[in-house]
Amino acid sequence: MRPKPVGATFALQRLLVLLRSNLTAMLLVLPAANYQPSDYLPILIQFGLALAFVAFAMIVSHLVGPKRNSTVKDASFECGIESVGNARTPISVKYFLTAIVFVLFDVEVIFMYPWAVNFRALGNDGFIAMILFMFFLLAGFAYIIKKGILRWNEA
Amino acid sequence: MTSIILLSIFGILNLFMGFMRSNKVLLPGAMLLLLAVFGANLADWNVVHAPYFNNMLVVDNYTVAFTGIVVLTTIVLLPFSRSYVVAGETNLAEYYALLLFSLVGAVMMIGYNHLIMLFVGIEILSISMYVLAGSSKRDSRSNEAALKYFLMGAFATGILLFGIALLYGATGTFVLSDLAGAVAAPENASLQPMLYIGILMMIIGIGFKVSAAPFHFWTPDVYEGTPTFFTAFMSTVVKTAGFAAFLKLLAVALPGAQGFWLPTIQAMCALTLLLGNVGAAVQTSTKRMLAYSSVSHAGYLLIGLVASRGNLTGDAASGIFFYSLAYSIATIAAFGVLKLVADHRQRDDYAALNGLGKTNPLLAFSMTVAMLSLAGIPLTGGFFGKFFLLAAAAGQGYIGLVVFAVIMSMVGLYYYLRPLIAMYLRPAEEGATPVPVDGIQTATLALLALLSIVLGIVPGFLSGIL
Repeated sequence: MRPKPVGATFALQRLLVLLRSNLTAMLLVLPAANYQPSDYLPILIQFGLALAFVAFAMIVSHLVGPKRNSTVKDASFECGIESVGNARTPISVKYFLTAIVFVLFDVEVIFMYPWAVNFRALGNDGFIAMILFMFFLLAGFAYIIKKGILRWNEA
Repeated sequence: MTSIILLSIFGILNLFMGFMRSNKVLLPGAMLLLLAVFGANLADWNVVHAPYFNNMLVVDNYTVAFTGIVVLTTIVLLPFSRSYVVAGETNLAEYYALLLFSLVGAVMMIGYNHLIMLFVGIEILSISMYVLAGSSKRDSRSNEAALKYFLMGAFATGILLFGIALLYGATGTFVLSDLAGAVAAPENASLQPMLYIGILMMIIGIGFKVSAAPFHFWTPDVYEGTPTFFTAFMSTVVKTAGFAAFLKLLAVALPGAQGFWLPTIQAMCALTLLLGNVGAAVQTSTKRMLAYSSVSHAGYLLIGLVASRGNLTGDAASGIFFYSLAYSIATIAAFGVLKLVADHRQRDDYAALNGLGKTNPLLAFSMTVAMLSLAGIPLTGGFFGKFFLLAAAAGQGYIGLVVFAVIMSMVGLYYYLRPLIAMYLRPAEEGATPVPVDGIQTATLALLALLSIVLGIVPGFLSGIL
């Protein structure tokens, strides 16, 4: 026979049992009428624990942590390297263009998967539609290459 | 359908034409391509097509008629981009391509039979316009216009999408013709609040796109900042396509909810007429005046929606068609002259037009016809446009609205006559040189003035075609 649990261990076990029964109830999809307000108690406890942990971590780090202040230490983005200049400067538009090209091929693939899955069902119509789609896509790609988006050395 | 395919292919073609060494061929090229689209579109007149793409798109006479207006408008607009050709603008091919792509969106908005198609059409049209509004990259006004248009337009599109979702939730269908039955179906009666909120949100979304009050607040700033060439496109093509879509939505999908939307549209109509006309009267810039005037014309077109009472054919629908055509022709002429004058004299207030009657009689005449047509003076297309719409409204018994519209068009006279006073009665500045106009622009302005007058003398050949 198991020894009777005492104190904190007992409370934890009760909680686990409560959580498990609640999980079982959710998995079994019991009719809504079977729920009692008290069944939501574990959720409340969960909330309480989450909040308590945040408060605990903040207070302990405040009490235990070392306290050193200097201008570098208090800088906004302290990372060991002194920050230089303003972050709000113009950024080369080439980065955005590269991102857009990525989106282009990303979207292409999104359409390729359903086509591949339904290849037989879509038949010839699907094939022609995909060829057209690929044509327009590659026309766009040819256009941006011709516009010089991949020429990084020029201004 | 042919026009959508051709416009898409020609748009891509135009992009690649930009790689040619000279951009001289771009303008005539784009005009020829659009003429081909115009012809292909007219070939569909009175031809019965089965709906395309699982009932998402229909091509009937309604679609052909309004597509004709937007394509024709773009053709006569293009010559005024000559200054870009002369200045060697490097992005000209992209501008034309974006115009063609946004026309694809406009045609989809006109021919839609499925709410998703409406949404896709509006987006294709709007996103091109956001880019073109900011096309003058070094001009902070243009940047402002693009940002304002984009942020508010994206917001309005979101509201439209909410509306579509609620409408779908309340009826279970996206297809316009099925919606009509589902809206009136008794089993959906319990979902009526959802349906009404959905309709209201869709009215807000489309009302924003056609700049109907109280959703017009963006119009003056955006129209003023956008380069004049694209402002002209915005205030004609976007409005025509928007109203075609609006009428179709109310007439095909929602005649069963008339009791709900009729008072709403009536209130919007009166408010738009008031704010548009009074707003235009106090402007000092010609371009801003034209922006407010486009708001007021949205008001007149809303009268057509009220008078249609859920009919896609008949007096009111034909009136909207005729009005859109007359309005587009006059507006292109007005913006065209304004662009030529403003490019030359570097200002766009009323005083910029001073003495134009002496220095450039043709420009002044063209502007005069345009202003008279916009004001609705007899012997111009604008008069019959107003006449047909107001007659349709009076025929349905909306006498109060008609009287109000007539009073408001009196207010309109005040600000439409101000450019005429500047052109003919005020002397030009010392040493003012004539505004340079080349052959194709002269021909286009003459054609536009002629069209306005022809529509005002023999309106019969285009009235009542729907």
